[in-house]
Amino acid sequence: MQNYAVQQNLVRWSLLGILGSMLLLGKVVFAAQDVGRMLKTMADPAGAPFFPVVMQLLQVLTWALHMVFVWTSVGGLLLSIYALTKKEDNYQRLARGLIELSKVSVSLAIVIGVAPLLFYQVIYDPLWYSSANLSASWYIMFIVLLLVGYYLLWFAYFRRASTSQSMLFSIGSVVLLLFVGFIIHVVNYQSLFPERWVQWYTSGGTTMNHHGWGIYAFHPFRYLSLLVFPSLTVTGIFMMLYGWYFGKREDIGKEYASWVARLGSRVAFYGSALWFVSHILHIATIPSEWGVKGSVFSILSIVVMALFVGVAFMAQKSPVSTSIPLLLACTVNTLFIAILREYIRVASTARFGYSIYEYKVNLELLSPMLFLGTTLGGLLLYAYAWWMAYQAGRTPKGKVYEASETEHRLGDLSVFLVTLWAMVFIGVGLIVIVRNYV
Amino acid sequence: MEHLIGFYPMWYVPSVGSATVIAIIATIHVLASHTSVGASILLAYLATKAHRENQPQIYDYIKKYLLALLVFSYVSGSITGPGIWFSATVANPRGISALIHNFVWVWAAEWIWFVAEVTLVYILYYTLGRIDQKSWLRLAWTFAIGSWATMYIIVGILSFMLSPGHEKWFTTGNILDAFYNKNYFPHLFMRSAYMFAIAGTIGLVIASLMKKDISEKVYKDIVKTMSYWGIGGVILGSVFFGWYFSTLPERSIAMLTSIVPTWYYALIFALLLLVLAHFVLTAISPRFVKVHTAYPVYLLIFFLGIYPEEKIRETIRKPYIAGEFVWVNQVIAKDVPAKGIKSEVPTIQQAGFLAVNPFVPEGLKRITPENEIMAGKAIAILQCSGCHNVTGNSGLRPFAKKFEGMTDKNAVYNFLANYLTPENHPPYMPYFVGKDEELRALSAYVADLVSKGGRVSARIEVPAQNQARIDGR
Repeated sequence: MQNYAVQQNLVRWSLLGILGSMLLLGKVVFAAQDVGRMLKTMADPAGAPFFPVVMQLLQVLTWALHMVFVWTSVGGLLLSIYALTKKEDNYQRLARGLIELSKVSVSLAIVIGVAPLLFYQVIYDPLWYSSANLSASWYIMFIVLLLVGYYLLWFAYFRRASTSQSMLFSIGSVVLLLFVGFIIHVVNYQSLFPERWVQWYTSGGTTMNHHGWGIYAFHPFRYLSLLVFPSLTVTGIFMMLYGWYFGKREDIGKEYASWVARLGSRVAFYGSALWFVSHILHIATIPSEWGVKGSVFSILSIVVMALFVGVAFMAQKSPVSTSIPLLLACTVNTLFIAILREYIRVASTARFGYSIYEYKVNLELLSPMLFLGTTLGGLLLYAYAWWMAYQAGRTPKGKVYEASETEHRLGDLSVFLVTLWAMVFIGVGLIVIVRNYV
Repeated sequence: MEHLIGFYPMWYVPSVGSATVIAIIATIHVLASHTSVGASILLAYLATKAHRENQPQIYDYIKKYLLALLVFSYVSGSITGPGIWFSATVANPRGISALIHNFVWVWAAEWIWFVAEVTLVYILYYTLGRIDQKSWLRLAWTFAIGSWATMYIIVGILSFMLSPGHEKWFTTGNILDAFYNKNYFPHLFMRSAYMFAIAGTIGLVIASLMKKDISEKVYKDIVKTMSYWGIGGVILGSVFFGWYFSTLPERSIAMLTSIVPTWYYALIFALLLLVLAHFVLTAISPRFVKVHTAYPVYLLIFFLGIYPEEKIRETIRKPYIAGEFVWVNQVIAKDVPAKGIKSEVPTIQQAGFLAVNPFVPEGLKRITPENEIMAGKAIAILQCSGCHNVTGNSGLRPFAKKFEGMTDKNAVYNFLANYLTPENHPPYMPYFVGKDEELRALSAYVADLVSKGGRVSARIEVPAQNQARIDGR
């Protein structure tokens, strides 16, 4: 009799368990549908003006390029602070050079950073606008603090003759740069949790947090692996490239250039090892239900980064001659990181049935042609400008680099192209205005 | 979630409003970018002159000017450029989204010139005197035209924000119809002319700082160049402004002549006269060039010229934020058949303004006597705070002043129900969208605000009864 009662209870509890699971799973599925619907409703009704996959590709590539200069901005400052703590002349000289590197890098990081955000907002508008608005006040503070941080960097540059002042301004600057990096990290990370946005914004249905001062999610390993450790690594590689580039200039001195390259190779190796560890920890702590951990993208990124660390290790033997191979290895590694970062986004939103490949398309061909034409012309122009800068940098101080005939022709072509672009742009405008309004 | 519209979490800035945040950032950017684009052409011209007339001291001046550009325009300008975008993102995400989804490639083309601009300004600075003059000149002209190209592009997008200019775009969806608006050219020419006055003013500041380092002849040459370009800039800019004015949509002209405060015009007019007089004096005699005169003139351009101009531009765009189809409160108010965009007004009128917004707490979506005031406050923040301080009596067109003395909710309701209708609403304001009970809730909130002295906390609290009701459902 007693046995029967136990059996009866077991059956009851089992049935209750099954029923509970059904209710819970049903709720989860329903919630996922709701979130998916919300995401799709948020997508701009105008649709994307071109194939989303192209936007995605451009976003990944331009993000990688943007990050190189973010890394040299932060890394240049971190290493300059270290160098300023040393009394030796070489370190003091290095600190000044690194501040200069950081100063130019911030400009490039800002301007190149426009592109990935632009392409991203076309296909992931629900993610970015929701997350940015959850922390809207911080999003504005990003601009304010970046402005202050960049001016502190300029002060560090102008006061470079004074070690203490230079160090003070550099510390202030790097703290702010790391903080603005954190704000962007938060906005990116929060965007991966669409199922929690409403709960965050309404504090569980009790209010509306329209003040924008909330920070709802961050991930230390993601932050370290995407910002802090790559900064050291990549700046180390730039120091090696310095040795390669300036080693031939008499007024700089081969000995100093080699010393910078040697130090750079050590920084690059230890930085890459830390980068690798933080990368593993980042992947290991991504929520399991996203299905990222065991994915081919994660595995490939780990393998490629391990190889990169290996190259960085070997590069210490001959830093000047291996600087270019290490740069190439770092480029490949960065591309794999950029791809993985995008895959994390794809995976986290796929949980709710959101796919950029299903984004509404209102195909339009004229403006992509404008972009393509501008890019082709721009690349030639960049090539000419950078080439002349390269030649000027190789020329000792006090001497003037005389361009060759080919370089003169390339210069003429550069002016011609930019003028042609302006004429075509204005000409098309005149035709359209006459057609529509006259 | 029966009916849902893709609204985003709302950001509310009490008192000054998010619009002021954008205006401040935009004003800094306009000053920095116009200085930079104007200077790029002025400096290329000066470099050509230095090369042709063999006046190497002009290069010293150019180098100083480039450094000034790097420190001001390429720090403040290049950060506040994305800053406008960032602030617009949080102040009006659906407005900026509408622009990006139409003009992404155009912006991307502008980006190519941005990158060129930033790299070239550094390259010009570092290679001056390190490469032969002819090569440097080519880089300078590439920089000048490339910088100007960024203006060619952004002006088209700004013009579209005000109006597509032509009904055609709504049915063709053709980007050329949207971009080359009828006020595109006057707008471009107006900005292009004024930028020389702005760059010329800062050019005089730099010249006065270098007076002792360069010969008198070179100094006079530089001052005259800056002054003549400046005079031309002010005069031509004003002529083009007249042309620009004639191409504005009717609603914008109505607003310019009715709701924009007259003292805004007085400020701008006085400033133009001042800048012109300054240039005339410095053109007549370089001894009038003084740092303590030219620099304040430059600052006045910021405060008395660009800031009011940005505020006016924002005002005359109303009730829209983009392309005459997205209202300033982010509701899509007009069909754009070419893009498959439908007006959201019918859905909101049917389902309710609060009910369709995913970021409104469930406890406010259905209005009850307990949550009426809080629901009204939520409506005010979501629908009105783009242009009004809805929780105070100061700052941006404050509710407390607009409804002064109206402490009876029925009186407020009667007023709004007759005023903010599709037939009677003023040309610069959207009409109210939502259910009648929502208009009543808004009215109850306004009456409550006014009866409490015109200031209340911006915090929204969902009454416990409503939370419980939702939880138990």
